[in-house]
Amino acid sequence: MDCRAHREAISRAKVARKALIRCNLCPRRCGVDRTAGEKGYCGLDDSVRCFREMLYSGEESELVPSHQIHFAGCNLKCEFCVVAEWNEQPYAAKEMNVEDMVKKISYRRNQGAKTLNLLGGEPAVNLHGILELLGRIKPAITVVWNSNMYYNDIVDMLMTGLADIYLADLKCGNADCAEALLGAKNYVAVARQNILKAGKHADVIVRHLIMPGHRECCLKPTLTWLAENIPEVKLSLRGNYIPPAEAISAPRRYLKEEELQCAKDMAQSMGLKLIE
Amino acid sequence: MKNKPYKRKPGDFEIRILKNGRVVMITPDETLLEVAQAVDPNSSVLPPKMETKENVRT
Repeated sequence: MDCRAHREAISRAKVARKALIRCNLCPRRCGVDRTAGEKGYCGLDDSVRCFREMLYSGEESELVPSHQIHFAGCNLKCEFCVVAEWNEQPYAAKEMNVEDMVKKISYRRNQGAKTLNLLGGEPAVNLHGILELLGRIKPAITVVWNSNMYYNDIVDMLMTGLADIYLADLKCGNADCAEALLGAKNYVAVARQNILKAGKHADVIVRHLIMPGHRECCLKPTLTWLAENIPEVKLSLRGNYIPPAEAISAPRRYLKEEELQCAKDMAQSMGLKLIE
Repeated sequence: MKNKPYKRKPGDFEIRILKNGRVVMITPDETLLEVAQAVDPNSSVLPPKMETKENVRT
């Protein structure tokens, strides 16, 4: 964390809270007054809710052990979301107590956490609470912004200098799949632009979940875009897609080992830097 | 009995045992990860046990 940004975090939290009055944090631009109890597409008012915090070693090796804080509520409706129950009902999660969370962060650091991993749901729709939290912890902590990257400029602006690593969960590779699978036709264009912006002030790891049967429409365009625009970026290809119990558009099977290998070969043939 | 599959609710955990014997835990918490490690000691998802001291100072 940049020291100056850290000093500003609490005042930035106030700016983020003001943005909730006619919420414009993400491209949904709901315009609802979350501070008055109205709820946007993400299902949230201005309360910040966490459904889990834990030490986890299943993230990319350079990030682990990682202290994950899962915030409830999301601005996408991914059909294959593995925490959909918390995003559909964020109020089932406990409201975050900042002081308690600060203690937990310290506790997890003592347990060996190398990084503080802010994820969801989607952290961007919980920005005000996250900024307040970051303002209360030691700036020496390595902060990971683990996001779908579907947000407006205000989020990038307020997070600048606070997130050390953007773990960009770049899904899909075209507008039609994004609309069918995530419920956001403009997702790919927005997320790609935000990845480029994040790369100007922080390290970026692009994570792409390989969808079975989406090699030509999603995987290939994603890898091509990365190779053409940010060939030096660290790329994490994930083969752990879990088919939802009920699927309308989402694939209904697990990824095969050979499909994962094929994806890695494709990435390497384009000169991309794979990490595990 | 409903034909539709059970839909997870907040607080539920889902474990699937696939035909090939693979066990899939969907977004497990620490307790389930410990179970996973007990089943497969080579599991890499759980950090090594470390001595801890609650430190409330920040």
